Amino acid sequence: MKPLHAVAVCGVLLVAVGIRIGGQAPPSAPPATGFDMSGYWTAAMHEDALERGAGPELADYGGFPINDAARLFALSYNASRVTLREHQCDGYVAPYSVRSIGNARGWEERDPHTQRLIAIHWYNQTFEGHRVIWMDGRPHPPAYAPHTWMGFSTGRFVGNALEVQTTHLKQGWLRRNGLPESDQATLVEFFVRHGDRLVHTSVITDPVYLAEPEVRTTDFFRQHTDHQSWLFACDDGEQILGRAADNVPNYQFGANPFVGEFGQKYRIPVAAYLGGPETAYPEFAARLSTLAPADGATKQRPAAGTPETTRAIDPEPSDDEIHVWPLRDNVYLLAGDRGNVVLQVGDEGAFVVDSGSGRLVDKAIAAIRRLSQLPIQFIANTSFRTEHTGGNVKLRAAGNDPSVRGTFFALQFADAGVGATIMAQQNVQTRMVATKRPADGVPSDTFLEERRRTFHNNDAIEMFWERNAVTDGDSIVHFRRADVIVAGDVFTTTQYPAIDLQNGGSVKGEIAALNDILKRTVYKHQGEGGTIVVPGHGYVCDEHEVVEYRDMMVIIRDRVEAMVKKGATLAQVKAARLTADYDTRYGATTGSWTTDMFVEAVYRDLSGRK
Amino acid sequence: MYRVPSGFFAATIVVAAAVTIVAQRGGSPQPPPTPKAQAPIDITGYWVSLVNEDWRYRMAMPPKGDFAGVPLNGAGRQAAGAWDAAKDEAAGESCRAYGAAGVMRQPGRLHVTWTGDDTLMLETDAGTQTRTLAFRGAGGTSGSWQGISKASWDRDETPMARGGFFPGAAARGGSLKVVTTNMKSGYLRGNGVPYSADAVLTEYFDRFDLPNGDALLVVSTEVDDPMYLTTPFWTSTHFKKQRDAAGWNPRPCSTR
Repeated sequence: MKPLHAVAVCGVLLVAVGIRIGGQAPPSAPPATGFDMSGYWTAAMHEDALERGAGPELADYGGFPINDAARLFALSYNASRVTLREHQCDGYVAPYSVRSIGNARGWEERDPHTQRLIAIHWYNQTFEGHRVIWMDGRPHPPAYAPHTWMGFSTGRFVGNALEVQTTHLKQGWLRRNGLPESDQATLVEFFVRHGDRLVHTSVITDPVYLAEPEVRTTDFFRQHTDHQSWLFACDDGEQILGRAADNVPNYQFGANPFVGEFGQKYRIPVAAYLGGPETAYPEFAARLSTLAPADGATKQRPAAGTPETTRAIDPEPSDDEIHVWPLRDNVYLLAGDRGNVVLQVGDEGAFVVDSGSGRLVDKAIAAIRRLSQLPIQFIANTSFRTEHTGGNVKLRAAGNDPSVRGTFFALQFADAGVGATIMAQQNVQTRMVATKRPADGVPSDTFLEERRRTFHNNDAIEMFWERNAVTDGDSIVHFRRADVIVAGDVFTTTQYPAIDLQNGGSVKGEIAALNDILKRTVYKHQGEGGTIVVPGHGYVCDEHEVVEYRDMMVIIRDRVEAMVKKGATLAQVKAARLTADYDTRYGATTGSWTTDMFVEAVYRDLSGRK
Repeated sequence: MYRVPSGFFAATIVVAAAVTIVAQRGGSPQPPPTPKAQAPIDITGYWVSLVNEDWRYRMAMPPKGDFAGVPLNGAGRQAAGAWDAAKDEAAGESCRAYGAAGVMRQPGRLHVTWTGDDTLMLETDAGTQTRTLAFRGAGGTSGSWQGISKASWDRDETPMARGGFFPGAAARGGSLKVVTTNMKSGYLRGNGVPYSADAVLTEYFDRFDLPNGDALLVVSTEVDDPMYLTTPFWTSTHFKKQRDAAGWNPRPCSTR
């Protein structure tokens, strides 16, 4: 050792000694000392062994503190749903991934210069779930950011535990027999090591599907050799040929044929294993013998009463600011003006999809100018609705279309190319003119059939008409190279589809439109990532959220249709609460689009009583 | 070959001297702090089990021979297959599923208290059992359902950390570790899944405080029993803190 190094070592030691002698805390206390989670781990399968291995029994939800909506969702679930192409590779959400069979691996990511811990990585073989637990104090993303199977996790060491908080989870399973966990769930976890044993405790809070937090504990054991089995191959394929695109296997309320199997096998009353917070507490053991078959039947249908309202947070910013979120390549989300706005920039003028409500249009223009010095050249409207066209006039005025100036049009029309060109399906123009919207904000570049296409800013951009979806003028916009689809109100994460029968909307067209989006999406890995889908309202999505929304629309259609075929009146359909398993996610009893309005639209469309 | 610098030894001597100075400060030697005073976590109070794992095994009586998940060996399977609840009752052995290695899996509540500076008492209302977790000496009675339990605070410290002068290497929280032996043979599950009198039960008790103000007690258990098990049997059982004794319901052991 060089003398200088020796002095340095002595210095460090003397500083330490000084601290001890003085009995004072270090000037800045070090962060709580962590522990090592790196290495190979294997889950001990001594608890819930059958569920975690072969799979859970059908309709066994015992001990889960679920609410009625979760139970009804699960009872409606038909396991054949996993034969749908879009569901075949669905991954597990983080808390369920931990419960899966297979190998796990942990490792640290440290700053090479400071050796500060940046992140702890945790990889589960099943569905190749790769979690990143950020340890560097970074904040969680905004509510309009994408959700993933693993969510976004931050951690800190507390006492002898690693405490992890996770948000932005996708909708997934509490248990893979249909018991749902919503995309509104958040997760708190504690990892503790006892020698070579790692004990994991998870606490799931889900305002949509849980009446109380769900607590689970899982054990892992450290292995000293590489498992050499780390992958979970999945590629979807055609499992049932000729099935209609609007066929989503499901059971009507009260008609799940397998609900009694578990009870018959283990001699447990149906009402007991259909779950609920009470079933997790010790007192419930004494109640098992008192439960009657009628109690089980009651739990299989929605309770009478007023529809529940959504418990989901509104992901749209409410601070009267425009928030920019990079989507991919040169495509951005501008969130904050009620309806989502998407911007594409490049060496040509900006291409904007939808213009928001117009309330924050000046701020939207300022945000666009920060990303592009070139004028706004094109505005594409996915709908005539005001939350997508409200900013048209000002956005148009803030731009121009050089592709028109200098052409024959310029010789014929003095204003050719003055202002951005607004494009949309013809019915958007027709309805905006009919409602006397300002002429400067009405699309002038329209198309009548199938699609409008253009190559702009080095990307192929296609507009597809989704005829008779929520209205008769809806379009989706696909940036092919960036692989971003702007869905407009055909798809939102905030409410039931606002099917406007008066303006040409239909149930059949809405389902077809959602399936049309799904024809164009490609997931990247295990059912997530890949094509980005921007809803008309809500957070940035991928294929998975569209699939769940499509499933919901089909299932509700099936239920209403079944009652219509039996001659039910609208009042009877409403009283049956056919949306009960989705109301805590999408329902509303006030506002511009209530559950009642949605059910009425579906009923009137399917019954022909418009 | 590297030469250890003389400065290193000098510093080490200074450290040792400093530690000595600290130890001697205050005059007469002080008795070491009691286990109660050293407790890195507080697990006292009432706790209620949240039964959502192995639910059907714990909430209802599973069928005879249903021991999925338990790594029984041949002798264990044979013993489980011979289970007879009526015989147990007739023999006054109704508490076989309420021994130390099984009672924490019973749906019920715990009441944990200090009975002195070095002994924790853990009572269960299920089966009205009492476990004595002794930090000094032996707690409990040999050959009883609850056996003899030795408790310690497990801080997972390295020898270097005990030296105490490397920032960041100090003790971090801790767990209650309990090792129980000399139990009367009993059941891991109510349907006669056995453990023998030679079984060794090792438990870690951890407390986690949640952002919403709730607290959880997680008991991580390992049962080593070469007589009936091919590998140790691992479970982790969780309880939620109660503010008071609500629901505390001492009741006798049951074989049904």
